[in-house]
Amino acid sequence: MSSLELRDLEVAYGGVPAVRGLSLTVAAGEIVGLIGPNGAGKSTTLHAIMGLVPASAGDIRLADRSLRGRPPEAIARSGIALVPEGRRLFAELTVDENLRLGLAARPRGAMTGDEIEEIAQLFPIVEEFRQRPAGALSGGQQQQLAIARALVARPSILLLDEPSLGLAPQVVDLVFSTLRTIAERGIGVLLVEQRAQRTVALAARTHVLANGELRLTLTPDDAADTDRMVAAYLS
Amino acid sequence: MSDFLRDALDLQVQVDAIGLGAIFALMAVGIGLVFGVMRLVNFAYGQLIMAGAFALAFASDRDWPVGVGIALCFAVVLALSLAMERVVFRPLRTQSAAVMLVATFAVAFLLQSIALLWFGPLGKTATSLVQLNRPVSVGSVDIRKITVVAIVTAAVCLVLLVALLNRTSIGLHMRAAAIDSQTARLLGVRANLVSTVSVLIAGVLAAVVAVMLTVQFPTVTPTFALQETILVLAGVVVGGMTRLLSATLGGFLIGYVSGLLGGALPSSQSQYLPSFVFGLVILVLLLRPDGLFTRGRGLVERV
Amino acid sequence: MRSGRAALELLGPVALVAGAGILGAFVSQTTEIYFVTALISVATVVAIYVFVGNSGVLSFGHISFFAVGVWAAGVLSVPEQEKPATMPYLFDFLSSTTVGNVPSLLIAAAVGGVFAFLVGLPLMRLSGLAAGIATFAVLGITNNILRYYEKIGPGLNTFSSVPETTDLLQATVGALLVVVAAFAYQRSRLGRQLRATREDPAAARAVGVSIYRQRLASFALSGFLAGFAGGLYIHFIPINVDAVYLDLTFITLAMLVIGGTTSLWGAVVGALFVSALDSVLAEMEDGMTLLGRTIDLPSGSRIVVVSAVMALVLIVRPGGLTGGRELSLPRLRPAVAK
Repeated sequence: MSSLELRDLEVAYGGVPAVRGLSLTVAAGEIVGLIGPNGAGKSTTLHAIMGLVPASAGDIRLADRSLRGRPPEAIARSGIALVPEGRRLFAELTVDENLRLGLAARPRGAMTGDEIEEIAQLFPIVEEFRQRPAGALSGGQQQQLAIARALVARPSILLLDEPSLGLAPQVVDLVFSTLRTIAERGIGVLLVEQRAQRTVALAARTHVLANGELRLTLTPDDAADTDRMVAAYLS
Repeated sequence: MSDFLRDALDLQVQVDAIGLGAIFALMAVGIGLVFGVMRLVNFAYGQLIMAGAFALAFASDRDWPVGVGIALCFAVVLALSLAMERVVFRPLRTQSAAVMLVATFAVAFLLQSIALLWFGPLGKTATSLVQLNRPVSVGSVDIRKITVVAIVTAAVCLVLLVALLNRTSIGLHMRAAAIDSQTARLLGVRANLVSTVSVLIAGVLAAVVAVMLTVQFPTVTPTFALQETILVLAGVVVGGMTRLLSATLGGFLIGYVSGLLGGALPSSQSQYLPSFVFGLVILVLLLRPDGLFTRGRGLVERV
Repeated sequence: MRSGRAALELLGPVALVAGAGILGAFVSQTTEIYFVTALISVATVVAIYVFVGNSGVLSFGHISFFAVGVWAAGVLSVPEQEKPATMPYLFDFLSSTTVGNVPSLLIAAAVGGVFAFLVGLPLMRLSGLAAGIATFAVLGITNNILRYYEKIGPGLNTFSSVPETTDLLQATVGALLVVVAAFAYQRSRLGRQLRATREDPAAARAVGVSIYRQRLASFALSGFLAGFAGGLYIHFIPINVDAVYLDLTFITLAMLVIGGTTSLWGAVVGALFVSALDSVLAEMEDGMTLLGRTIDLPSGSRIVVVSAVMALVLIVRPGGLTGGRELSLPRLRPAVAK
């Protein structure tokens, strides 16, 4: 399993910098959080890693090879999977078809029975709703499907863009505990979130981004210390 | 009026109209598939058919066997399709749909003017398959062999295409790219491969249509299939561009109705037919922009 | 914008057009035809630019307004006794009315403008691909009606006996008028508001600009100018209905794209450049001697070259020859004090 490294990453939209000088690493098996106010550049960072927006400076490296400038499908194939904001499932396609699409990033053919078992253990909805259109699932179920779809590709690194958005607290619990299980299996997780406290408690390190810059790095010990986090946001 | 109805309901006219509808349906699939996957309206689609028809005429001129002629037709159309995809469609993928429309417009004129240069305005004739245009009597009706061939071929092609789209992984990738190409790429779907495959399929269909049209219209000129393409485009827009099924239905219907009107209306009354068709296109774009046969997502930006 | 910059923005196109006009006075009769055609092309392409360039919305339909101008000016200019020869079925008021040169041009412009306004009323709600398709449909309808409705014109016959009043002077003056009108529009409040909607529709709407109204106004003006250009054209050369359909739509669009869609300078440069190219190729088709060698291109090579150039421009340099910018002086950078 490989680690993801961002070195002095800069991303600009038409001359306006959205991310400035961001450096972080995500090693195999660890969860790294990325939090911050709206417009801080968190989603932009994930989009840059996936090649959806070009990086204007700095480097993105996976297992010490640069990913900069490569198209999204090539980055997916090199072992990074993104669970996009709003899940972006194909609502008219079935759950099964959505999962099979996750295979597109795999170098070789179809899912074997064992792999489906693995995914089904993590996500019971897979078996239950297999042939139903993905649009028929509830928000929480769709989030699980989106993560399952990303995992089908057997990524080394999993990126998630605000997975708890619009989900009920119990479902968020489920999603977060699933992330722990995923990390235990050796996958590196970069989690972009709005829910600061839970992310800080979950992740090995949580970086606070404001105005495109890294302001602060928090550890689970800081989860109880909200003053410091408030200061970070206001600075 | 009753004369018209009587003529329209005549079995002969019906059969011929269905045959024309089948050919138009295939063209609609070719146009609709590329649009769905690449958001590109290929104005130059008719010129692909023309190129295939000229290939057939070329072979027929030299008395080559029919099979060779057809093979040449396919080769030319597919080569041209691939060239278009690589040289024009791919570099413009990031541009707006309107820019791509203008680009295909330029390509259409380029191809047409090259054909004019090469073959002259009078064109060539492709006579090798003419025996398919002869009728076979079935009861009171003379069905031309080509009509049967057209309907059967269209049905087979459509069945094959549906199987490809629903049962293969490349088909799944194409359907996903048509729904949300960015997310599809995030999952690893190769955008270039999907584009190329859809262009190739559209090319195969264009070649098939070229063969079928030359049987009925053996004189191939640089404007071969131009009128038909414009009508099919109108049919696709009216039927609904965003869904393959509705686009195909729109294409079929406009072919069928054209066939009916052509067979039943005296020519003096069908002069303003194009205006009606174009008027319908405008109405649909204004009132039901997703087409008459869909309940789908918006393709049309409105202010 | 400072008036110096603005002056250059107008002066560039004007100088080019006037220059073409002046140059044309020194060439032979046969070559002069190319110049007159080029100047009418400038008028046409600038008319199209007024809408397409300022709004950013594609239109395939402008040659309909041009055609309508051709019909209006043509039908009303043919002397009364000549009308039945090519136009035997005209409405009475058309067959009994004959007007002079300038009135026919004004009427052509007015008819073009009104037609464009009526077409624009429903169509200006559309954008992007839908606008392109809808305007193409308008082109088709116009062609169909002009072709078969013989009460308003010659139908399939060629216009003949139209007084050939568009000489080099009239073409030059006409083109200049259109250029000045386009410039005045784009510098006016209306034009600027429309350009704002092109750059950033959401922001424009937020400050109260009605995209629909601005586009409609521009479309109508554009139709007015295109009708005028059509009037100029029919007074130059006899034409039939197919001369104002797809081929002309293609070449005028090519001129705009190759020159640069978003600027007046681009429209003028494009029209003149492609006209020049077209003329040279036409000469080569007739057999031309260049540097001691005879070049004899097959007839019809012209469109091959122009369409290839157009496709190339779209792929490689979508801003066109001018990059879509107006003519301006390079800025002098002040020296940086250390």
